[in-house]
Amino acid sequence: MTRFGRRDESLPDLIAEAGLAALADAGIERPDALVVAAMNPEEFTGAGNYASLINTHLGLSDVPALRVETATSSGVAAVYAAFTAVAAGIHRNVLVVGGEKMSHVPTPRVSEIIGRSVDPHERTYGTTMPALAGLITRAAMHSRGLSLKEMSQVAVKNHANAMRNPLAHFRELVTLETVMESRLVADPLRLFHCCPISDGAAALVLTSEPSAVRIAGIGQGMDTMAVRYRSDLTSFRATQKAAHIAYAMAGFGPERVEVAEIHDAFSPFEIISLEDTGLLPVGKAGRATLDGETALDGRLPINPSGGLKARGHPLAATGISQIVELCWQLRGMAEGRQVAARVALAQSIGGLATNNWVTLLEARA
Amino acid sequence: MIVKPIAASRCPRCQRVVVPAARHCPDHPVSMEPASVPGVGEVVSFTTLHSPPEGFKAPLHIALIELEGGARLFCHGEGTRGIKIGSSVGVESLDNVFYFSHMGFADRARLFWRRAGAGGEKVAAITKSLAKGIWGGRSRGDS
Repeated sequence: MTRFGRRDESLPDLIAEAGLAALADAGIERPDALVVAAMNPEEFTGAGNYASLINTHLGLSDVPALRVETATSSGVAAVYAAFTAVAAGIHRNVLVVGGEKMSHVPTPRVSEIIGRSVDPHERTYGTTMPALAGLITRAAMHSRGLSLKEMSQVAVKNHANAMRNPLAHFRELVTLETVMESRLVADPLRLFHCCPISDGAAALVLTSEPSAVRIAGIGQGMDTMAVRYRSDLTSFRATQKAAHIAYAMAGFGPERVEVAEIHDAFSPFEIISLEDTGLLPVGKAGRATLDGETALDGRLPINPSGGLKARGHPLAATGISQIVELCWQLRGMAEGRQVAARVALAQSIGGLATNNWVTLLEARA
Repeated sequence: MIVKPIAASRCPRCQRVVVPAARHCPDHPVSMEPASVPGVGEVVSFTTLHSPPEGFKAPLHIALIELEGGARLFCHGEGTRGIKIGSSVGVESLDNVFYFSHMGFADRARLFWRRAGAGGEKVAAITKSLAKGIWGGRSRGDS
């Protein structure tokens, strides 16, 4: 994957940087197929027909390519498309690439474009992604005792982890006070609870050949596009379903997971997601975060990469970058932030938790 | 405070009610039937946006309200002072936009009498014109 942050390169160049590095790592020059993830290159960059654009840009113009999109979880959706093709025996080696380039676009316009993943009727009320996250946060504080301190500690921890990741967007520590006193964005959600606007790309190769890490399980879960159609605001049905499917496929449960990358687009979502995936008991994840259980040296390290908050969130790159980080962790290649783990979990949220994914990775003996 | 019914849809399969009216049930691929629900409910959650999207004025108060009968809807409001999760609110539509407002003791008492079959229409008409005065042309744009 590329360094995340403000990047001057074009999106095809960023994707090529990540894609060629992944091919080199796998020792492959020409994959059998290519799956491209990009959430909205049409609006952000003005280019379309993105699968063909990328395969030609990579020098793979005769390699079958398709593009996959499920809003902010597009990266994992692309992994899933490649996984099913390899599992079905249709292809032997598939390159998955994903990225987004948006820092050149004014912030209000970026928010508006990302906000189009919200239900059209609800959008007429000004319900941007942070607005909905603010509603969810308030409900979680009310009904499950989530505290401002607990969710702020998520951001503090993830910034600390990103200090050790040379590819992270932010490599600076933040204090609990800075987070808790940052300006209100969508009451009670504050600026430092929100992920940044990042550019970047990530890539991996899925193969039917023996490799160091295998996908033990992958699951997709859905929820209604309209938040008003949901009876529960403070947990995400889409994550719970995705986790259930992934664990069933893997044949083991959350007790075997030793490290995880969680979709902390908004800090409270890390706490909600830890419970939705069963990694921590309901109502305990906030306390565990404050107690350091999810820190890099804790019992269950969460977001060793820095998460969306500090590694950054280039939309379609994010889901792939989570799995790349976990592959590095399982292969002992996460220099400076290495944890001891044989089983890892990645959780990705699409839109306002309408199209979520859970992936389980296992190091081969 | 006026309590006018709000147009909704009901799924013939699962009886789920949604607002605003919609063609299909989110859980069943069947056509829904017209229904209506009272414009009173409880606050599920709320937020205030300090940098709202284009077309809206800051601060923008947004609440998710659960109406009696179970349908939820987003509303704008004049403010969130005194509002808590679980607060009783009235909801009404002005120019196709839903607004919530806190129901004081008098409102709830009036609602009780209305439900009991009493009148209150005169009070309602006066409140409505007042409400229009307050809300007319408020913070909402075209987008």
